[in-house]
Amino acid sequence: MNEIILMSHVLFGVACMTSAIWLFVEVLNANEANLVRIRRMSWAAAAAMWLAFIIGGYWYVTAYSADKAIILKGPWPFAHNLVMETKEHLVIMLLLLVTYLPIVASNNLATSKDARKLMLWVTGIIAMLALAMDGEGAIIAMGVKVGLLPK
Amino acid sequence: MENTSLSKNSVSFGLALALACVVNAIIVVVKEKSDAVMNGMKKVIGHHWTTHTVIVLALFFLFAWLFGRANNGKGMTITAGRLISTLLSGVIIAGLIIVGFYLIAD
Repeated sequence: MNEIILMSHVLFGVACMTSAIWLFVEVLNANEANLVRIRRMSWAAAAAMWLAFIIGGYWYVTAYSADKAIILKGPWPFAHNLVMETKEHLVIMLLLLVTYLPIVASNNLATSKDARKLMLWVTGIIAMLALAMDGEGAIIAMGVKVGLLPK
Repeated sequence: MENTSLSKNSVSFGLALALACVVNAIIVVVKEKSDAVMNGMKKVIGHHWTTHTVIVLALFFLFAWLFGRANNGKGMTITAGRLISTLLSGVIIAGLIIVGFYLIAD
């Protein structure tokens, strides 16, 4: 069950990142015809990140301690001491950014140059931060793996 | 026709986001350096990280509400360029504090 929880966390996180990249391109071409799609995708990106956060948070609070012990005894203790510690706090900023996304998207992006500029920055930061979270997750998983390898 | 207006919520939540990110980073440093704070946060909801998240989310909405009430309820007046640079500064400073703390100080 833990594996399914963890894979769902990754799935929704990647869905958020993909949605942010999609939105970035949509906003570059914002017009009256794609405004509704941009707003719906903004809500979808926010929903995906909230799901990823809640699922990942549940796993972190209830199941991570076993992995943490393996990582700290293994050859990659930094996978917890640096990577997990930064991930669990940087991701809160990502949650705030995706919550902000539908608010920015509610502006008329077809007519407001400033709203488009703001939207491009927000989606760009979300995509980069989500990619960083994905990479950090991979390092943490590798930290567990090398901790389980026979010495 | 092009315009340069941003909604009141875009401005107030954008400023709140920048501020909440920095507060998030400050809470990281304080709780990691103070056992009393860390233990207190563990007691509130059962895990320091859960309490941390709830505090930052609550502050984000509180700050947005307060910024929205400025200027007799018209909200903060700020250019889009200034809002974007404030937002970026908040995210970058908070990111550097968090990564820097665990990389060097912890």
